[in-house]
Amino acid sequence: MMRERLGLVTDGAYNTGLTVRLDAQCSTEDLRVGELVVVEGQSHRYFGMISDMQLRVTDPRLLASPPHDAPPLVTEALAGTGTYATLEVKPMLMLDLSVEPDEQRGPQRVRTIPMHFSALYRASEMDFATVFGKEGGTNFAIGTPVPMEIPICLRLDRFVERSNGIFGQSGTGKSFLARILLSGIIKTRAAANLIFDMHSEYAFDKQTEDGDWVKGLRELFGSQILVYSLDADAAARRNVDVTLTVGLNQVEAEDVMLLADELDLTATTAATSGLLVDQYGKDWLRQILGMSADNIAGFCQSSGAHPEATRALQRKLKEVQRRGYLKDEVPFSLIDEMVTALGRGRSIILEFGRHDTPLDYMLVANIVTRRIRRLYQQKVERFEETKAEADRPLQLVITLEEAHKFLSPAVARQTIFGTIAREMRKYNVTLMVVDQRPSGIDPEVMSQLGTRVTGLLAEERDIDAVFMGMSGRSFLRGALAGLDTRQQVLLMGHAVPMPVVVQTRRYDEDFYRVMQGTGARRDGLEVTSADIWAR
Amino acid sequence: MPLKLDVLGQQIEQMTRAAVAEDRNGALERARQLMESVDPAELRAKLDERTVRLPWLVADVGDSLAGAYAPAPCPANHSVVASDGSSVAPDRHTPVRFYVINTGYAILTYGERPSATLDSSPNLYFRDEDLYLDPHVRSAPVEGSRLSAKMCLAEVGALWEGCQRVPGGPFVALRDGSLITWGLQSEDPAFVQQQFLGEFLGHLDRFVEQGIPVFSYISYPGARDVVNSLRVWLCPRGTVDCEYCPTSESAQFCRTLAGITDREQFGFLAEGQRSDVFGSKSAILDRYALHRIQFFYMNVGGEVVRMEAPRWVTGDSEMLGLAQASIYDQGLRSGMYPPYPPALQEAHEQAVISAADRQAIEVMVERALAEKGFTYLGSAKASSKRRRAV
Amino acid sequence: MRIGEIIESTSVLFVSESLELRQSPALGSLLRVRISDDGDLYGVVCYGETRSLDPGRRAVRRSTSEVYDDQVYRENPQLEHILRTEFTCLAVGVLEAGGILQGLPAQPPPLHFSVHTCSPEETARFTEDLYYFRLLLSASLPVPAEQLLANHVRRVYGERGGDDNWLRRAAQEVGHLLKQDYDRLMAVLYGIDQGSSPRAGGVSTK
Repeated sequence: MMRERLGLVTDGAYNTGLTVRLDAQCSTEDLRVGELVVVEGQSHRYFGMISDMQLRVTDPRLLASPPHDAPPLVTEALAGTGTYATLEVKPMLMLDLSVEPDEQRGPQRVRTIPMHFSALYRASEMDFATVFGKEGGTNFAIGTPVPMEIPICLRLDRFVERSNGIFGQSGTGKSFLARILLSGIIKTRAAANLIFDMHSEYAFDKQTEDGDWVKGLRELFGSQILVYSLDADAAARRNVDVTLTVGLNQVEAEDVMLLADELDLTATTAATSGLLVDQYGKDWLRQILGMSADNIAGFCQSSGAHPEATRALQRKLKEVQRRGYLKDEVPFSLIDEMVTALGRGRSIILEFGRHDTPLDYMLVANIVTRRIRRLYQQKVERFEETKAEADRPLQLVITLEEAHKFLSPAVARQTIFGTIAREMRKYNVTLMVVDQRPSGIDPEVMSQLGTRVTGLLAEERDIDAVFMGMSGRSFLRGALAGLDTRQQVLLMGHAVPMPVVVQTRRYDEDFYRVMQGTGARRDGLEVTSADIWAR
Repeated sequence: MPLKLDVLGQQIEQMTRAAVAEDRNGALERARQLMESVDPAELRAKLDERTVRLPWLVADVGDSLAGAYAPAPCPANHSVVASDGSSVAPDRHTPVRFYVINTGYAILTYGERPSATLDSSPNLYFRDEDLYLDPHVRSAPVEGSRLSAKMCLAEVGALWEGCQRVPGGPFVALRDGSLITWGLQSEDPAFVQQQFLGEFLGHLDRFVEQGIPVFSYISYPGARDVVNSLRVWLCPRGTVDCEYCPTSESAQFCRTLAGITDREQFGFLAEGQRSDVFGSKSAILDRYALHRIQFFYMNVGGEVVRMEAPRWVTGDSEMLGLAQASIYDQGLRSGMYPPYPPALQEAHEQAVISAADRQAIEVMVERALAEKGFTYLGSAKASSKRRRAV
Repeated sequence: MRIGEIIESTSVLFVSESLELRQSPALGSLLRVRISDDGDLYGVVCYGETRSLDPGRRAVRRSTSEVYDDQVYRENPQLEHILRTEFTCLAVGVLEAGGILQGLPAQPPPLHFSVHTCSPEETARFTEDLYYFRLLLSASLPVPAEQLLANHVRRVYGERGGDDNWLRRAAQEVGHLLKQDYDRLMAVLYGIDQGSSPRAGGVSTK
């Protein structure tokens, strides 16, 4: 196959990567850190990423007096001899070429390195197809490699198996990316989705910064999508399916802990809720809301709670009580119905309407998710007993924005989201977190995120955070730093064979057509074993 | 062993001190004034009278002594032919006796079609008739002054050869060294003289036949002929007898004059100018007949040289003029200071036998002899000179 | 065209006397000796000298205010006979049995054999492969090897009709051979191309 040759391997170590001397006629400016490249060894083909580039000279005297205003003859003579460039390449996958085509298992983990003077090539379309597979089934095209037109596929089955993260500073198109991924999951039925749509972006048409209108998931997938809303008024205006109410009876102590910041509660105050639970059990919230001053005093005496703290707690909780969607008593059946719908493969988008303060978002999301997870736990336990296929619960992906509010180190241990993240797919529920401040997320949770899709990040600590738990982050940083602000992401983790920089596909008419099944599928490249075998 | 230069140094010092002690410039001035004051006819008469008793050579004077004649313009197209010779003397340390004479000639043609012909011709003399003037008796070996005479003959022969190859146009034939064969004067028996002179004059006959102006060129001449004639002029006595010379003032001056050479005397000549022509009173010249040698001095631009030629040449104003003009021209082309005619230089270069050449000849002779089965050790002295063992 | 006769011959160099006084082949030019019917030896001119035939004689100033340069030779016709022009060539390869082999020859060329100029085609053919550049750079020569190579490259570039591709290849080969010695490399490259301005006298590549 015709590939552009870039250079020859001159040095390297298994642990640190390969050093490639760039051919004289190749310029470093034509290459990018993070680009996919291929090394042809004698019996293996190695797929790797460019992790670094260096300029070198053979004679240090050149550094002291470099040619100045030199005629082209001089610079051409120096290129590749007196001056040359090297690339650091980190092999990520290797293909055993000595194997019979029908026994070919595809790219494997790297266990060896190529010998001296093996040639390095720019990856061709064939190579991308070899590594990332072709579109179809649960292979979902998420975009293209930066210079080419062939699709890079994400394995959605593996994607939904674990919790994932979509990161990037503001303006990098995270919500579009989320829409694309959700569309893919919905289209391929890889999982059911529950989306906590804080800004009412996902369900219906929305106007972008540029003034264009983009379609909502409801427009694309019709009845596959159920739209819930907390805001009854908004629900009437929009095409909402169900209005959700939440009861005080559904609020638990952990919710108060979660909302400590939002409610501006001190630790003591927040902890008082625990004491209330001890005393009053499930009824604790109603109790505190109804307490008179004397009641409070009495309670404090009996429980040892701090009176001022208790009074403060009561004040804050009364604020909560005033939320429009909160009733005293709401049956859990509303939420249970959500689970039923999800079980049938529907996807649910919960809008918040005017109740879109962080407080509302966090409270409701926590309550709903807690209930859902409890149900799922029951489902899984049942399935483990009966082992009947019909009882197998469908994978659920919960999409959570502003994830750092739920998963910060302070609260990660306390919220249901932290639990879900740490449990992995124990109960077939995983998270898809969307956030611009990955450093705000608890590192342990972070390291549990299987697949990470990240756009450009500015802050050092955010960059550090997003690579938490990933190997080879030193060279991936270079790839991350080189991303375009819009539409380029670094894809890494469980759902891709190796990290890759991707130009995300556009959420536009073509996409709509494909999702709605009315558009022609893009011609993926047919990768046959013969092609893999060919040199 | 190294020469004791410090000892010599002192003696050199003494010598030079004595040399500069004399007031030469003053003497020269007076000598020139004297020459101007001479009455040529009277001097001629005096010289004819006194010749017998003069212990030194005097010059025959013509109508003028102190003249200075500028050169005519040199013709653009002209040639100069010159010859020279070099020899390897017979070595008594070798079993086979031989000598080598190498003559060289140079023809330089100037003008519209400039060209140069340079050639040399070596000759090895080994036959009895060449090695001895009397091959049967072997009493007169050719060596020393006889070898020089032989060489002179060869040179004139080579000069003649050269003259035959001149492409055309006016030319002058030139050799270095005197045409007056001094060395033969003392030869005895007379037949030696006869043999050499006969050949020599025979060569000159051919020159006169073809009307070739033949000259000799003597650089840094040591002759005192003309000054000596002035001393005769000065002498008050009837017969010049230096043994009985009174210590008068003129006698003092005469002694001073004795220390002045002709080239110093004629230092007044400007560049390119020649002096009057004089005759030589050398005894051997009596045999020269029409080839009797005359001479003049010339300032070639840096030194005063002596030019000699047979009188049939000096008597021909055209030949004389061409000689002066072409010699001056040669001086301008010389590239050295004081100038030396390029033609003579090239002839010399053609003729010269270097030390390496001499060694090569020895080796060739040795090898040739060895091939014929004749090996020899050579004389002990010769070997010791070569090997210089400690 | 015959331009000289070999008067000294070694495995590495051969010295020739020019047939014409004062006319020696240009420094860096490629020359040819016909060794046998099917064998040519190629050499690169690396040195030239005009001096007296007799080592003992030295040239003296012969010009005057009216007579100088060419006139000196007209006015001193013996000079043509007592001077000689010699040039030295570095052996760089042979052409035999239809193939070119670059490197030192098996034997030094025979004394008194003639030295010929190379036609543009012969030069182009020999210089297609640049291996012989090593010989030029590593020989111990009477002139600095960098100057010789620069001159040679300029000449061959001209002989090949301004072959820019070849020039580029040559420059890169030099870059490769002298990568450890930047100063020497610059000496060669700037010797070939002194700059884009015609005033600097560099080769103008299109």
